[in-house]
Amino acid sequence: MISRRAVLYYQLISLFAVLFSWDVSAHGGVVEEDDLCVIKVNYLRAHFKVYQPGALGHEQYCEDLPMATESVFVMEYLHDSLSEMPIDFRIIRNVTGKGRFARMEDIDLIDDIDSATVFYRAPVVEPDIYLVNYQFAEEGDFIGIVSARHPNTGKIYAAVFPFEVGFTGLGYWPFFIGMLMLIQFQYLLMSGRLKRWLGKEVAVATCVILGLLLSPVLFAENLVVTYTTPDGNPEINKMHDWIVHIENDEGLKIEGAIVDVEGGMPKHNHGLPTKPLITAELGSGDYKLEGMRFHMSGYWEIVISITTDNGSSKVMIPLQL
Amino acid sequence: MSSEFLKLVVLLAAFGLFISACDRGSSQAPEWTDAEVTTLKSLWLESLPDLPDDPSNAVANNAIAAEFGRKLFFDVRLSANGGVSCSTCHQVARRFTDGLKKARALGLSDRNTPSIVGSQYSPWQYWDGRRDSQWAQALAPLENAHEHGTNRAQVVDTVFGDADYRMTYEALFGPLQDTAGSDAFELNTAFANIGKSIAAFERTIMPTTSRFDEYVAALVRGGAQREILSADEIAGLRLFINEASCTQCHNGPLLTNHEFHNTGLLNFPGDVPDKARAGGVREVFGSEFNCRSIYSDDSAGFCPELDFARTGIELIGATKTPSLRNLEHTAPFMHKGQLSSIADVLDHYNKAPDAMIGHNEAEPLGLNIAELHQLEAFLATLAAPVSALGVEL
Repeated sequence: MISRRAVLYYQLISLFAVLFSWDVSAHGGVVEEDDLCVIKVNYLRAHFKVYQPGALGHEQYCEDLPMATESVFVMEYLHDSLSEMPIDFRIIRNVTGKGRFARMEDIDLIDDIDSATVFYRAPVVEPDIYLVNYQFAEEGDFIGIVSARHPNTGKIYAAVFPFEVGFTGLGYWPFFIGMLMLIQFQYLLMSGRLKRWLGKEVAVATCVILGLLLSPVLFAENLVVTYTTPDGNPEINKMHDWIVHIENDEGLKIEGAIVDVEGGMPKHNHGLPTKPLITAELGSGDYKLEGMRFHMSGYWEIVISITTDNGSSKVMIPLQL
Repeated sequence: MSSEFLKLVVLLAAFGLFISACDRGSSQAPEWTDAEVTTLKSLWLESLPDLPDDPSNAVANNAIAAEFGRKLFFDVRLSANGGVSCSTCHQVARRFTDGLKKARALGLSDRNTPSIVGSQYSPWQYWDGRRDSQWAQALAPLENAHEHGTNRAQVVDTVFGDADYRMTYEALFGPLQDTAGSDAFELNTAFANIGKSIAAFERTIMPTTSRFDEYVAALVRGGAQREILSADEIAGLRLFINEASCTQCHNGPLLTNHEFHNTGLLNFPGDVPDKARAGGVREVFGSEFNCRSIYSDDSAGFCPELDFARTGIELIGATKTPSLRNLEHTAPFMHKGQLSSIADVLDHYNKAPDAMIGHNEAEPLGLNIAELHQLEAFLATLAAPVSALGVEL
């Protein structure tokens, strides 16, 4: 049982890694690599770190910043050509509605980027190292956008990194804590301890309630999707059902929606081995999803498309198995 | 059992002998190893070589030029508002510094005012070494908007508008040519000559014998050392040349290697971190008054410092090692005056935090508070008056 728990914790750690590399896939962003924070401006890479020297001395940060104060952004080029390219640096308030999942496409959709901009440094060729000092006036959600123009092709490469100042929200932590508790609970359940303590019925009921309370909460515009699985983290190569719960951000349960589910592994460029379907609407915003199966461990994305009278939206659920 | 007991007795006896030996050692003059004596002599002011030649400055060792330069150094007419001279920031009473974090004249400068004492021995001027001679350095503040805020034409006009100055100049450099010429060569030559005269004065600004130097002299010549330095100061000196690794950079009689090092200092509030030497080396290559320029008096054009100057990203955040002589009256310290006292500086090196940019070359020292106090006590023994034109100031 202990080795099983170790596996579960490993899965959780992997989930951290996946979530921190979230914004990188398409256009570039900030990721942790070998304990170093790296910004990827397309194929161009630089060490990336942020300091709040006046308040926090030599402490360095990768993205989120503890407080609204003087902040020094440092990019140490890992690719020589960055020292010859005009680079501009923009910080905007995160008005994308996508939180920390905002990407370049979301930036492109902003009508008036200047009014959202709190800091802009025009393109400049900075040999050796790129430095910006900005005094944040207020806490909140921001997006950093670094653009570099290729001197020969004129092509512009960009990196987008959403971050928080003042840790106003809770970031990923409720999600992590929820996952941690679920895993611990699953362990207790599997090891039989919970049954010995509580009896089977109570245990199963508690599992469902805990699952409902703690399973990942994902936002799509104004819709909130939660899901529960019978065994906590889905078992590999075992077909099973999910219960998907949909409500809006005011707590109104969404009924009568057309719900489609797709999924796959982006890294392996393949989909689910099955074609899962919503087979029943259970009421109170609950939908029964049957035919879920995962045929390998790794990083999966499940995309839930929801169509109501008010329109359509998609919610992506990341899963590390 | 009895053999165990015997072992214990022998060990205790050995320990007792060791303690008494140490005790005796501390009650006598400290023993320095031959290697340590060699190191101490290398730091001794008497080991300072003769003034290095400056072939780029024909009047470098000219007494008339030095006296002319002294007058120029203190002359507030060489400024946009008639209120700023070299001595505004390089104040004699503060060992040629100004007591400010960053220099302030007409405006606020980017960096802390470095002392002039001993700078004639350095191949590089400024914290980032962006000039390669004292005379080229002396010209830059005159035209800096935050410092003297004037320009070379005004400087030359001012000098030639003063009858005494004009006479001295023409005695040194010959008659003034038409500086309004289209190619600016004559103007730049006259401007450079003014810098060379200031440098001739600055070359005479020297440290004088400190208590540390007296101690080494006594050590070398067999005098009474114990009255010169206290036990704490000697302990600090021992740390300085050994565990604290200070002499890695602060070596030689001026206690500087004249080189550039990143020691992981924080940025000055509101500024981005200082790239320092990475930018300075680029600037000195482009400087119109550098060793290779037509305004250098060295017809051979021999410029090894420029020819072999190190460049590259390892110089990011590296600033020139300052001399540790005459630290008295020169606080605050470091290139932006980030650290207000010697205790703060020692604490910084004791921790050796990660650098904001580049890499901190220093390693944490792990010294305790008593040892830091001893180091501070030793550094104070390097205090001494300075001299200029052979006169103690």
